Amino acid sequence: MAFPRRALRKEADERLLVEAAQADPARFAELYESHFERVYAFIARRVRNRQEAEDLTSEVFRHALQNLKRFEWRGVPFSAWLLRIAANAMADRWQRVARDHAEPPPEPPDEAAAEDIERRALLYQLVDTLPADQRRVVVARFVEEKSIRDLAQELGRTEGAVKQLQFRALQTLRTRTHPPSKRGAPGGRRAHA
Amino acid sequence: MPKRSLAEQLDQAVQALLDRPGSAPSSVTAELYELARIAADLQELPRPEFKENLRSDLRRRAKMSTTTVNPIREGFHTLNLYLVVKGAAEVLEFTQQAFGAQEMLRVNRPDGNIMHAEFRVGDSMIEIGEANEQFPPLPASIHLKVEDVDSVYAKALEAGGFSLCPPTDHEYGERGGGVKDPGGNHWYIGSPRGKTHFLPDQRSVTPCLHITGATGCIDFLKQAFGAEEIMRHQTPDGILLHAKMRLGDTVVEMSEARPEFPAMPANLHLYVADTDAAYKQALAAGATSVREPVDEPYGDRCGGVRDPFGNWWWVATHIKDVSS
Repeated sequence: MAFPRRALRKEADERLLVEAAQADPARFAELYESHFERVYAFIARRVRNRQEAEDLTSEVFRHALQNLKRFEWRGVPFSAWLLRIAANAMADRWQRVARDHAEPPPEPPDEAAAEDIERRALLYQLVDTLPADQRRVVVARFVEEKSIRDLAQELGRTEGAVKQLQFRALQTLRTRTHPPSKRGAPGGRRAHA
Repeated sequence: MPKRSLAEQLDQAVQALLDRPGSAPSSVTAELYELARIAADLQELPRPEFKENLRSDLRRRAKMSTTTVNPIREGFHTLNLYLVVKGAAEVLEFTQQAFGAQEMLRVNRPDGNIMHAEFRVGDSMIEIGEANEQFPPLPASIHLKVEDVDSVYAKALEAGGFSLCPPTDHEYGERGGGVKDPGGNHWYIGSPRGKTHFLPDQRSVTPCLHITGATGCIDFLKQAFGAEEIMRHQTPDGILLHAKMRLGDTVVEMSEARPEFPAMPANLHLYVADTDAAYKQALAAGATSVREPVDEPYGDRCGGVRDPFGNWWWVATHIKDVSS
């Protein structure tokens, strides 16, 4: 079995980041950059309402910043601590707004859900690496829900050209999230999932 | 029929997802399946502006947590009156002659009018600015606690004030008289007598919110800013005659407007521990935004809201000391 050097290196780096932020809260920015998409992905999948997802994500990071000194490194990743705060925040909200809600409050993610969160968090981070025109199309279509026609007008392009940009953006994201060797068959589970 | 391009087919699948949020990707060719799944995940893509705003908010909080600045600017209390009037310079002069006000700061506009001034009356700071199109005149009603009502009342008339009511002994434990200043502000000059309604720690200046829907405003102050109700005196049919609320180290008084004494909402400068949270809470309690919180060059972070009763609230946190 190969020694998981990369995983250990990552853990050591993260530990340094957390300790730096505990000593100087200004360094919390680095933890925020590393974990924003992960926390958002976890919350957004459960609340399905953008405003609520934003409120809860803000609550999680503010709480984490305020309570960072209480975080103790015991071999559990920092992300697990953040997702626990997120699960608690969602459970609190659940109790406040829907006391008679039939569904149980959200729990921290299990292994399968954690993989799903990682996959989507990576995807959201990769959107920032797209060429500017492709990124604009992705944000306009999926965040602002703009029509192809409105977007074509905004960008001064034909509707066909905007659809091509959308196609290329999704192709780029597919290539970057799933290198060709790891792609599974359509409709089936991917090889690495 | 010409074959549709892959980009066209993908867009049709994307549109179907957008039309039915949360649905599984619709039937697409094998070639497009993975792209459609990515599109499905992108429906929960966070707004870039949100990520950016939260980043700034956390940076600001991190900075605040490392400094030990008092969230209330030196010389101020939790709640402070901000007079917005026509003829601000004249009003300031009036307060100096009538109440011995001490001018602390004056910043004029190029036209010579006061843009912003600060003056102290007794133990309280009052701010004042010349009204303009953006901020129309909003004369306030003020309860001024003094030692000698009659002498202050006489000085106020000499200084150009207009008498609203001569000093009288009231059954609720106060000798009080009223004067209107050149800017239209009503000053109720009072002194505690016997068993009085004045609170032991009531400051020299107490804003009086004389408004329509005063009981609703009590609820608003509780929900928006966590105010504490100290006392409420109302008629049997529920008209509020007098209420006192506490906001931090300051008291605010409230009463229902009447035809013979119309509403006088006020402009108030409220210091809180967290401007952004208070601003948001005020909006949730029914206020409308005047201005989102911003960091001001004088060291405060300040946002503005208007409550449903016509009062303007400038919600602020002092975040750094700035030398003048």
